[in-house]
Amino acid sequence: MRGVALVGAGVSKFGVRKASYRDLIWEAGKVCFDSIPGVKPKDVEGLVVGSVMPERTAFQSHISSLAAEALGIKPSALSARTEHMCASGTVGIRYAYAFIAAGLADLVMVLGVEKLNQPTGEEAILNMSAGVDREWEAAFGLTAPPCFALAAQRHMAEFGTTEEQLALVGVKNHNHAAKNPNAHFSKGATLDQVLGSRMIATPLRLFMCSPITDGAAAVILASEDRARELTDKPVWIRGTGQALDGFQLTSLHEDYAHWPALKRAARTAYAMAGVGPHEVDVAEVHDCFAIAELIAYEELGFCHKGEAGPFAAAGRSDYGGDVVVNPRGGLIGCGHPLGATGVAQAAEIFVQLRDAAGGRQAPGAAIGLTHNNSGMGEHVVMIYGRERA
Amino acid sequence: MTYFRAVDPFPLESADHTKLHEFYSHLASGRLVTTRCLDCRTTAWPPRGFCGECTSDRFEWVDLPGEGTIHAFTVQETGLPAGFDGRRVFAIVKVDVHRVFAVLVDADPLQLRIGQRVRLAPLRVADDPKGNARWLPAFTPT
Ligand SMILES: [Zn+2]
Repeated sequence: MRGVALVGAGVSKFGVRKASYRDLIWEAGKVCFDSIPGVKPKDVEGLVVGSVMPERTAFQSHISSLAAEALGIKPSALSARTEHMCASGTVGIRYAYAFIAAGLADLVMVLGVEKLNQPTGEEAILNMSAGVDREWEAAFGLTAPPCFALAAQRHMAEFGTTEEQLALVGVKNHNHAAKNPNAHFSKGATLDQVLGSRMIATPLRLFMCSPITDGAAAVILASEDRARELTDKPVWIRGTGQALDGFQLTSLHEDYAHWPALKRAARTAYAMAGVGPHEVDVAEVHDCFAIAELIAYEELGFCHKGEAGPFAAAGRSDYGGDVVVNPRGGLIGCGHPLGATGVAQAAEIFVQLRDAAGGRQAPGAAIGLTHNNSGMGEHVVMIYGRERA
Repeated sequence: MTYFRAVDPFPLESADHTKLHEFYSHLASGRLVTTRCLDCRTTAWPPRGFCGECTSDRFEWVDLPGEGTIHAFTVQETGLPAGFDGRRVFAIVKVDVHRVFAVLVDADPLQLRIGQRVRLAPLRVADDPKGNARWLPAFTPT
């Protein structure tokens, strides 16, 4: 297979935006093209758009063509939309990667976009219920928070993980977001604020949860030769893995404190990249809820099973620790515009591995990892490197 | 035209709409049933119209016990979808060898614990657009 690298990346402002679906596409496309002056829309051969529910939130299908036209791209090799709930963006990156590695295209943009906020908050949440099984789960009023709350309950019962350890993930990611001008939240948070925020689903409080966010992000992937022509600092895709245990809650591993699909996806990606967990300098993990970040530390191999709470509390997932996790603020601090999240994670690793992340820079970062999930049993892992191999 | 929302959060349960309609008609009469594959004899939860083990599409309905134990639960207080009110207790209930996702009704969250016994208490939800009653599986502490 041919080598593939990220050569450009950009992210819109995330938040409760006074902006249309198309406005968000324009914003992310603009900053992405601005990041790589040698690439114009006419040069882009393919576009993959990760977007989950524009049919409900913008009453719009036919998304990849809409986005291509909005950005002046006339695809000649690939045009597609990916929908894989919260992992749609990274699933799109995998498609673009495979297309380029196989020699079917040389330059492909992956864009993620979501306009989730609606005139009423409860309708936005109702829309989110489309992401779980309608007949067997969503009909009960289920959305993501209680699912991950069940995992937190199990992790606390089994390993003694505490509410304070969960809260410290919220503190870290809110404080990271305060250094990211594109993040949904900008004020940071103290432990008392997180522990005092309102209860969503026991034990998960508001500041341990990602908010309902509008936003878009874009990256441009290039073949090895094209990447070297375009930039001195390509960020190479070194490995990728995806694995699923199941869709419905009752199909997953019996104990929700264990996410074997993430372990499998990570093993595939590490093997392909030829690196191990302790070589990862910076990671964007899917902290849709604080418990997800803790379980990700364990299944990604950053710490042993059951030890994520103390690992977080000791600062080992922050600057100065073993690995900087979620420097842009994660989903908790940046927000979670579903289809845009995986692409925004890649955009963060792009700037981190180019030593261009400013006040968020993980010093000397050479290996980066992204982890995107669409439920506790469905995971995608990407590994990026400053060097080709 | 005024602003409106066109969405029905509940399954269409009648024979006009789903191969699994007997699940719901049994539930309405207080029975929890599921499908057993006539070819490989695998009993599934939730019921299915295609066997992922042997690819059969021939099934029989079998009764599950009307009681189970709480495997995990959480109490959602805020942030529920439009049309649903908190507090709402979501639980995974162990019924025989199966894990069933449902809500717990008439349950005091402070009194609940993992391992506690619960019994089936079918929950009537909004009628379908033709006025047929609709039911979802729910449990209540014994
Ligand atoms: Zn069978």
